Amino acid sequence: MLTEGRLSRIVSVLSPLFLLGLWETLARLNYLDVRLFSCPSRILGALFPLLWSGELLHHTLISLARIILGFFAGALPGVILGLSMGLFPMVRAMLEPMILATFPIPKLAIMPLILLVFGLGETSKVFTIAIGVFYLVLINTMTGVINIEPIYLDVAKNYWARRFDFYLTVAWPGALPMIFAGFRLGMGTALLLIVAAELSAARAGIGYMIWRAYDMFDIERMFVALMTMSLLGYVLAKGLDWLEARVIPWKQPSR
Amino acid sequence: MRAEKITVQDVGKSYNTRHGPVMALDGITFSVAEGEFLCILGPSGCGKTTLLRILAGLEKEFSGWVEVRAAGSQKPINAMVFQENSVFPWMTVFDNVAYGLRMRRVPRELQRTVVQRYLELTGLAAFSRNYPHQLSGGMRQRVSVARAFANDPEILLLDEPFGALDEQNRLLLQQELLRIWELDRKTAVFITHSIDEAIGLGDRILVMTARPGRIKAILPIDLPRPRELVQIKGQPAFVALYQNIWKLLSEEVLRAREKEILPLALAEPGTKDDLYEKTISRG
Ligand SMILES: Nc1ncnc2c1ncn2[C@@H]1O[C@H](COP(=O)(O)OP(=O)(O)OP(=O)(O)O)[C@@H](O)[C@H]1O
Ligand SMILES: [Mg+2]
Repeated sequence: MLTEGRLSRIVSVLSPLFLLGLWETLARLNYLDVRLFSCPSRILGALFPLLWSGELLHHTLISLARIILGFFAGALPGVILGLSMGLFPMVRAMLEPMILATFPIPKLAIMPLILLVFGLGETSKVFTIAIGVFYLVLINTMTGVINIEPIYLDVAKNYWARRFDFYLTVAWPGALPMIFAGFRLGMGTALLLIVAAELSAARAGIGYMIWRAYDMFDIERMFVALMTMSLLGYVLAKGLDWLEARVIPWKQPSR
Repeated sequence: MRAEKITVQDVGKSYNTRHGPVMALDGITFSVAEGEFLCILGPSGCGKTTLLRILAGLEKEFSGWVEVRAAGSQKPINAMVFQENSVFPWMTVFDNVAYGLRMRRVPRELQRTVVQRYLELTGLAAFSRNYPHQLSGGMRQRVSVARAFANDPEILLLDEPFGALDEQNRLLLQQELLRIWELDRKTAVFITHSIDEAIGLGDRILVMTARPGRIKAILPIDLPRPRELVQIKGQPAFVALYQNIWKLLSEEVLRAREKEILPLALAEPGTKDDLYEKTISRG
């Protein structure tokens, strides 16, 4: 039987396959310039040696390590500061102007400064990602705390929640969904920034692979790197989903 | 005459809004006896919630004088069942009901027995490990009621706990509430805008005027307890009370309606549908 759901699953598998087929056909018929757009068979041809030699894995792991390190280095202070700013108006009054003034600066614009300060090593790459993640997590966490339904504050008061109990039983769980929304945005930014960070003075990483391929005009290698990037983004997003389902078991399955 | 548990003396309250002060309560004086079930009935927006929040100590700025006589025990003074959905979505049914006990550092073992007891009394025992989003609206209100009872307060404050429910669910929960309340007859203040509900549950009914809320009448209900809500509805005493209260209330509802244009301009600041309401009232 072909149910609605089953049909749509079949369609969503077939349509990319169809597009790949079309790409290949157009390339073979010389309607597409393979020097610029390559074609699936050539990309596959480039993929296997990169896989067997372990080169792709090497670059992927290096990028992954930078992303994860940078993510934690940005998310942790983001959550802590965001919670304090949400909970204590004095802290908010103190820090908010600075945060709001520096937030709109594109993180790419401060990369040269980061390079000057931290040099060409790992620190500058991790720091670039961390700073991008930091702002998004901070702002989401703060908003999450501030926007907790006032009725829950009344309940906590009515049932004699002490200060610390209130943080633990209302503020933290109440803000968690927003904190995770911040993580999600932060992860997107981290993927963006890793490529930029590996543009300058890197000797490995997926971003480095892309720029190297550009220098050498190796389109197939570039496509392999782009595909890896997309896979990396998918895996990291799924990882966050997995974590969220464990940390927020009360969340309604909406998607 | 039983001892007075709650005394309210000339209480008034006005909110400051963008359009100047709005008087919500004015000259409210009454008392509630130990073990009495008082129902407060009044048109929407007359200040019922405000009054209950003052009694609960959640609203500190008001004029007049309120006293709740504590028995000097370890029990909390009050527990409130809120009008809107106030069950924590991030806690299981069990943890929600245990909340007051947990906050008061009641020993775990005792917490478990008490919570289990009220889960059974409210028919929630099978759902103790569920999260609120997995429950119906009626079940969530049951959790809210169980949470208040489990905390074993000296007085119970209930703000239209069944207002959002359908007829059958409401009747069921009213009967359930009566049954649980009969067990130890705590002093209770119960807000409603259903006349049926007020007569069915209360020992006395306090009828309020339209805003600013004043006391219009206080009526005793001489129906014997324990009550079967479905049965008392046909009784002559019930019908006479119903008609009497309807007359008092309809005057107020009409009076409130005449002022309908005003309340729109005075809508609370910062509410979510603020803009929306203004938009439709213009259009
Ligand atoms: N925080 C607030 N700021 C300004 N005005 C308020 C505030 N809370 C309530 N009011 C106003 O005070 C009046 C009384 O409000 P209250 O919530 O006590 O009414 P109510 O009798 O409980 O109404 P309902 O039956 O609809 O629940 C209303 O006119 C309301 O607009
Ligand atoms: Mg109300």
